[in-house]
Amino acid sequence: MSKSKKKWLMPLTLLLSASMLLSACGGNKEESAGNGGGTAEKPVELIWYTIGTPQKDVDKVEAEINKYTAEKIGVTVDMKMIDFGDYNQKMQVMAASGEPMDILFTSSWAFDYVQNARKGAFMELDDLIETHGQGIKDAIDPAFLEGSKVDGHNYAIPANKELPAQEAWRFNKNLLDKYNLDISNVKSMESLEPLLKTIKENEPNVVPLAISKDFGPLLPFDYIIEKMPMAVYLDDKDDLKVVNFLEMPETMETLKLMNKFYKAGYISPEAATTTSTQDLMTSGNWFADRAATQPFADNLWSQSYGYPVVSTPAGDANIFNWSVMGSMQAISANSKYPEKAMDFLNLLNTDVYLRNLVDSGIEGVHYKKLSENVMENLPESKNYDMPTFALGNVMLTYLNPEDPENKWEEFKKFNESGKPAPLLGFNFDPSKVSTELAAVNNVKEEFWAPLMTGTVNPEEFLPKANQKLKAAGLDKIIAEAQSQIDAWKASK
Amino acid sequence: MRAIGQFFKNLMTNKAMLFMVLPGTLWFLLFSYLPMFGTIIAFKEYRFSRDGFWASIVNSKWVGLQNFKFLFSTNDAYIITRNTVLYNFVFIILGLVLSVALAIVLSEIVNKKLAKVYQTGMFLPYFLSWVIVGYFAFSFLSMDKGMLNQILGWFGMEPVQWYSEAKYWPIFLTLISLWKSVGYNSVVYLAAIMGIDKSLYEAAMIDGANKWQQIKAITLPMLKPLMTILTLLAIGKIFYADFGLFYQVPRDSGTLYSVTNVIDTYVYRGLKTTGEIGMSTAAGLYQSVVGFILVMVSNYIVRKYDKENALF
Repeated sequence: MSKSKKKWLMPLTLLLSASMLLSACGGNKEESAGNGGGTAEKPVELIWYTIGTPQKDVDKVEAEINKYTAEKIGVTVDMKMIDFGDYNQKMQVMAASGEPMDILFTSSWAFDYVQNARKGAFMELDDLIETHGQGIKDAIDPAFLEGSKVDGHNYAIPANKELPAQEAWRFNKNLLDKYNLDISNVKSMESLEPLLKTIKENEPNVVPLAISKDFGPLLPFDYIIEKMPMAVYLDDKDDLKVVNFLEMPETMETLKLMNKFYKAGYISPEAATTTSTQDLMTSGNWFADRAATQPFADNLWSQSYGYPVVSTPAGDANIFNWSVMGSMQAISANSKYPEKAMDFLNLLNTDVYLRNLVDSGIEGVHYKKLSENVMENLPESKNYDMPTFALGNVMLTYLNPEDPENKWEEFKKFNESGKPAPLLGFNFDPSKVSTELAAVNNVKEEFWAPLMTGTVNPEEFLPKANQKLKAAGLDKIIAEAQSQIDAWKASK
Repeated sequence: MRAIGQFFKNLMTNKAMLFMVLPGTLWFLLFSYLPMFGTIIAFKEYRFSRDGFWASIVNSKWVGLQNFKFLFSTNDAYIITRNTVLYNFVFIILGLVLSVALAIVLSEIVNKKLAKVYQTGMFLPYFLSWVIVGYFAFSFLSMDKGMLNQILGWFGMEPVQWYSEAKYWPIFLTLISLWKSVGYNSVVYLAAIMGIDKSLYEAAMIDGANKWQQIKAITLPMLKPLMTILTLLAIGKIFYADFGLFYQVPRDSGTLYSVTNVIDTYVYRGLKTTGEIGMSTAAGLYQSVVGFILVMVSNYIVRKYDKENALF
């Protein structure tokens, strides 16, 4: 390129960028819509982001929902589904860039509720619940609203569902029957071993203990952040002393046992890099695994896998922060119609017709009713298969034919049986240690899966991991967590 | 005033050319220059505001260089920088040599139909997503069902836990990266070879030069400007690692981090739970600034020795 041609490049670039800048600034002023409106004739439209694999018939069902809600509360909804794996990242970007939305799914495990509440992604709902959400207060277990407060305020409406978390060992019943194995005495990992041994010796094609890289053995801790080393002992209700649980003797013992299982071939050699055990579940080539349970969970599992699955508890039912915040609907901070959004959430959590329409689709198309509160899926339901737990009050949904009549009573009993974990109600604010957290997270990612799946020898790797965690600043995070917990304890 | 008049006169004389670069210019302005204002986030603790993106930026608190700290706070800083730069360095050198060699071989194949088949075959991996390439690699390297372990079995050797043996991975990653990118780059060079004046080769043949002498004296010198430009551009990206290669292909295996952790994966792993936009922006800015400096320096060096081939 010759000299003379280069000369005009500069002014041209400047000119163009200046005009871009001006137009970018100019177009930003939006009309601020009034908050009134929203009648049956002229309903307001709420944008609603929910989690789950996008379904073919969402538009059809949405039209049906809108007919009902426009009439009832002067609202229509535009449902946008984002798949489980994408939800967290997509919502983070959309919230950060101020994408218009009114209602959105949030939880302890996808689009983190506490952190995003603190960052200002959600509207504070204390007053709105009083003025537009009275039905919610009556319909759901008060422990949910109480347990999901962040710094004393509610930022989302939790779904009424199982409150505690309990882990269970699940078994492929066909194999249990074939070898006449008894699971009534199984609870700890040790008690599982003889069963795994039988399977390993007789069924070379079956994975005795199906686990993926997310597996974590049950240890007696309440974690400050899930899958991070900072924790307090479950029975330490008074002192609430924060420790690095990887340094505790129980951890070493359990991980040694995992390593033994791994060496004995009870665990897949690829466990540390396997992201899901779904294909084992589909093929039925597994014997045991561990999963979170709820009343009558065996029915759900057997139905979804197409072969019988039975389970026995692996631990106690504890109420953790993350189990309380397992599924919630928040109102976005930039919502133009917060009152209307709350009206809708109120209806979703109290109205049987709306809740089941959202959940199971249109009666006669996606399902048929067998009696007042029992329904059966029709073939079309494959085009509208929604995650029930993620869409508000679960206890309003119709029962399946296999479900016992007292299903929801059992849920309530289960909820009452749960023991509150020591840190229930405490939410860690990581903003002062975000540098250290990023570094610790990297160390954790490096060691977690190999250690927890038993792939490596803990006697060699656990000290290595602890040393690296220390170097990454874990002690500073523990100190910060301890001081926040002490302040929280004092305020109680 | 004269300068402006001159400017518009130039604009008129070159309007056809300018019109041709217009789409590219717009693209760069929209997607490269406009977002640059966002680098401001690197110096802020980003918090959402209900009035949209700009208000969020304005209302967020200034935190100085706080967001950059996590990149340098641990020993990992050394490992990730070393891995990123060394891998990219190897990729650039080997990629250049192999691409040019392949392009020359392809151009020398007499049967043009066959040459097209080879070319397409080598081009294909470029279009595969890293997730798929990751599964290809897995079918070779899986512990119990992988092809490599079966071959080892034939020779009576013990199977290897490929996904927890760090020492093999620098080779695997280099091979896979080259397999995926060389086909594409060689097509670029092939196009340049096709553009070389045929009379040069005819003249050389009349003078009795053999194939090797022709390549050395005509093809390579004619390719030199392109080679320099592409290499300079690649150097600008030396601080950016290919995320898919280093995350998907080793299946995010923790035991391999010492040889697979690069700046991009480190940032992803550090921030995926907290989602601090300020910190990820800081990392991006750091990579860009280093890349910018490297391009300027290497361009300066090129200009010093060979003014013709420098970028600017």
